[in-house]
Amino acid sequence: MSDTQTAAQPAPAGQGAKRSLLQHLIKGERPYMLYVAFVVMLVVFSLASPWFLSIDNFLNIGRQTALVSIIAVGMTFVIIARQIDLSVASTLALSGMAASLAMSLVFNNWAFGALAGLATGALIGLINGLLTTRLEIPSFLVTLGSLSAARGLALMVTNTKPVIITNEYYFKIFGEGSVLGVPAPILWTLAVTVAGILLLHYSVYGRRIYAAGGNPTAARYSGVHIKQVTTLAFVITGTLAGLASLILSARSHAARPDVVQGMELDVIASVILGGCSLFGGRGFVLGTLLGSLIIGTLNNGLVLLGVSSSLQLVIKGAIIVAAVAFTRR
Amino acid sequence: MIEPGSPSATAPLLRVEGVRKRFGGVIALRGVNLSVLPGEVHALLGENGAGKSTLIKILSGVQGHDGGLIEIDGRPASFSSPAQSRQAGVAVVYQDLSLVESLSVADNLLLGREPRNRFGFLRKRQLLAEAQAFLSAQNIALDPRAMVGSLPFAYRQMTEICKALMGDVRLLILDEPTSALTDDEERILFDAIRKAAARGVGVIYVTHRLNEVFRISNRVTVFRDGQNAGTFVTADTNMRQLVGAIVGPDHAVLKTAVAEAGDAASSSAPFQSVLRLRGVSNDRLDRVDLELRAGEIHGLAGLIGSGRTEILQTIFGLRPVAAGEASLDAKSLKGVDPAAAIARGIALVPEDRQVQGLVLEHSIERNLTLPRLPDFSRMGWLERRSAAEQADSAMQRLRVRAPNAATAVKNLSGGNQQKVVFGKWNQPVPRVLLLDEPTVGVDVGAREEIYGVIRNAAAAGSGVLMVSSDLPELVQLCDRVSIVVDGRIVKTIARAELGSAEDLHHMIQLSQPSEEHAA
Repeated sequence: MSDTQTAAQPAPAGQGAKRSLLQHLIKGERPYMLYVAFVVMLVVFSLASPWFLSIDNFLNIGRQTALVSIIAVGMTFVIIARQIDLSVASTLALSGMAASLAMSLVFNNWAFGALAGLATGALIGLINGLLTTRLEIPSFLVTLGSLSAARGLALMVTNTKPVIITNEYYFKIFGEGSVLGVPAPILWTLAVTVAGILLLHYSVYGRRIYAAGGNPTAARYSGVHIKQVTTLAFVITGTLAGLASLILSARSHAARPDVVQGMELDVIASVILGGCSLFGGRGFVLGTLLGSLIIGTLNNGLVLLGVSSSLQLVIKGAIIVAAVAFTRR
Repeated sequence: MIEPGSPSATAPLLRVEGVRKRFGGVIALRGVNLSVLPGEVHALLGENGAGKSTLIKILSGVQGHDGGLIEIDGRPASFSSPAQSRQAGVAVVYQDLSLVESLSVADNLLLGREPRNRFGFLRKRQLLAEAQAFLSAQNIALDPRAMVGSLPFAYRQMTEICKALMGDVRLLILDEPTSALTDDEERILFDAIRKAAARGVGVIYVTHRLNEVFRISNRVTVFRDGQNAGTFVTADTNMRQLVGAIVGPDHAVLKTAVAEAGDAASSSAPFQSVLRLRGVSNDRLDRVDLELRAGEIHGLAGLIGSGRTEILQTIFGLRPVAAGEASLDAKSLKGVDPAAAIARGIALVPEDRQVQGLVLEHSIERNLTLPRLPDFSRMGWLERRSAAEQADSAMQRLRVRAPNAATAVKNLSGGNQQKVVFGKWNQPVPRVLLLDEPTVGVDVGAREEIYGVIRNAAAAGSGVLMVSSDLPELVQLCDRVSIVVDGRIVKTIARAELGSAEDLHHMIQLSQPSEEHAA
């Protein structure tokens, strides 16, 4: 945002300038401590484990975090709008079933399957958004309901059985292909992140969603259609959950209705860790990506160090709470 | 009835002397005095921003003070928390009640102090008996079993007052308690206040309604700009004297300001009407007729709650036009929402800038550009440079004092925040500029600058419709003033007939439906 500071006025020592460097790092508009923490973590794991510092391992981390990262970009919009979406993991499961069934039963074409998966995700997002804004039910409750309902539907359509996918193009495009050695899931993560940055920080819609979450009343008095803006945030998140389902099912050559249960917690933790305020109006896409990578790297490093999976959960939880306590304003 | 002893005979219950308070650059209290006797109802008057609320916050321990003396029963007192103030016997009843609606009157009265048996369980019978005993001792007709949520507003307020009076209360402070009451309810409330005073409690009664002062108070103190503007024995004063004390005696200044504005208005082209309301009604408005001319500053005067704000909200599309016809430039405004109203050239500077006007956490630039984002974009993509340039030029035009456009609005003073709200609508010049209390909480210097902005907008051809409780401000700025009573415009006064702020005050008071039968 430094380009907004043109030479209109000499900047005297105002409120902003009085803060110490440390305060800026921890509590600034963007919590730069996060970057520092990430680097420190990389150094620590590199010293502790000989396998950690390798390109293969980093690609591995990127692949493992792709699903969370992609959905978290959408969740950033939802949380900036002062809402929450608990249904993303179930949306992913149902979208994956839709994509695989569309290809196995109707038309074995990768684009058709993808479209079915994305549309299913978008539809669930639309339903979440409309129920939240039109019926004015808190999004926590709406998405708690769709968390359950979408998972139930996913289990119902095949009576809990997985659906095998046989389309080679589909595997390549969403799961196993690579460009210059970079695997497809990472490419998709990068594409979604760039699109998210453009939409949130360079579009009219981005400005409106910040205002809608920062102060809905003032935004309404300024002519912002809060309901439309908020609904669109849910649709974006649902669609990205759909995209994540394509990546997951392409990697495992099948869609399973019981996948990624509880993943919404990792998604929300990434967004909050990345500097979003749960009270709305504040956050940024790059922070979210970093938050997701931190959680992913932590998982990976702890595995390499041979920490038991139970203890991993405890450490992860403690670090998330500590990080949020530090970066919160 | 109460007759407190002659002031010299009784030692004051509360003595406030030379109390000062400053918020950053704004001085709220410049050394005020106030004394309240036991058994006295002491009215406290003053315009918004005169310092009444600040003093109450200091007395109730919500805020500290910077200097001066506070004594209760002759002992110096300084409260660093509401609990301490309560301990010293000070109880405050605020406008927004602090009752639990889903509990009974008795539950509310003893909330937090419920009688319990030795296992920690509630002794319901004893609780009810204690509440009943208190109410009958006070001679107050309230059923302790009644659910608070089901009570009419006045009885809820009485419950609140009883709650405040339980325990050892010496000083009861009521902050505009009647603003939401009907005449009957007001009488019930006044009875309760008199009963409390008869037991020797000192009462500070804050209000904007002058005729209440004469019905309930023994003495009156007026604050103006954080200073004492006089203390009067109610029986020896009159409405005119109180109004004079409230608005200040600077007639000369007012007269010259009127003359200046008059010249500006007469030079603009006459009678091109921009906005027209014909019999506009909805849940809060009752057949409002209004014609706003281009280049005119049109005031809306009236009591708080009279429907002035709702007229602005209806024009801006925040409330529906249920009946009647509203039109801008002869085209109907039916079904318009705020976004459409903005597109048609209507702008609103709302009453509460922190809640309705600004996103406090965000930068000046984000706030300034929010209503006109389509102007700074192409195909939905923001042109950040042009938005930033607009923000910088708006900041310079309005002389917003801040390091730069990236400064968060919450770090600005009230006056500079208000300039940012004006800046949202500054370019292009709106067809209709709606202003709701545009200078509340704005210090004197910034106030003059805002007046300049309003005059410039009118000079550039905007029709300005302005709600204000600050009568000198209306007299100083407006070409015409309409008086609003119960959602209707009952009278429109041209500048030539406007006279002084006091005259306007009398006109407003005289326009009210008679309240005297209650006394």
